[in-house]
Amino acid sequence: MRRWNQDHAAAGGTNEVNLTPLIDVSLALVVILLLATPLAFESSFAVRRAAATARSSAEETETARIEVAVLSADSVRVNRQVVTVAGLGPSLKPLLERSPDGMVAVSCRDSVPHGSFVEVLDTIKLSGAQDIAVAGR
Amino acid sequence: MRAPLVQGDTPLTRINVTPIIDVALVLVIILLITAPMLSVADVELELPQAHARDTEDPLFVSITLGPAGEVAVDDRMLPGLDALTTALRQQLQQSEREDLLVVVRADARLPHAVVREAMTAARDGGATRLAVATRQGGRR
Repeated sequence: MRRWNQDHAAAGGTNEVNLTPLIDVSLALVVILLLATPLAFESSFAVRRAAATARSSAEETETARIEVAVLSADSVRVNRQVVTVAGLGPSLKPLLERSPDGMVAVSCRDSVPHGSFVEVLDTIKLSGAQDIAVAGR
Repeated sequence: MRAPLVQGDTPLTRINVTPIIDVALVLVIILLITAPMLSVADVELELPQAHARDTEDPLFVSITLGPAGEVAVDDRMLPGLDALTTALRQQLQQSEREDLLVVVRADARLPHAVVREAMTAARDGGATRLAVATRQGGRR
């Protein structure tokens, strides 16, 4: 390698490695990682206001409205039936299949941790709900 | 300059600026991508884990609720939840979009009452679209 460099330099060529393409490709990889990281690890889901939902769905039948109340970290009430968080999905699916708009109104007790509340929202979304309305004060 | 800039009999008088423009453009793209990320408050958070995802809007205003009672709108720390409505209204007025998404980034250990109060304050401050931030936990 050294001999090649010496010969090449003697012949009038450059004996330095061109780092520009390497830096260029590295920076492009950094950009790809920056784009991929937030998409892969952080997300969010939309929630609506329960009061507005109640007004808009006033003309619908009573059975069409699905209400979920988070009672504690591991129990929820679906309409009038109390189930565990693990049993929420199977309880919700038949109700959502009958629901014309796929809307679920969610209320939560004050002392329930936010993580448990989001776990319930996640289960509702994965059960096929189109919209989630969260009850305010 | 060690290497003679000679090509045959004709000397090379112009510098090749293509690589420097190339690298500079990549740096600009990095800055454009990182600018929205830097607008989130630097608070240690344990976001709740979720599998579902539906809101993917690159432009949003964030409300950060830390485990020790920290409250921030974007990267601006606030003294408490009482100041949230005013701060958010100012932030939304500065933006060009009326229906800007407001993302509530709350720690998973916080009681729901705090998050609900923040969401109510956000609506009072003019937020029309609300979302709850989660940490993506893969597919079930």
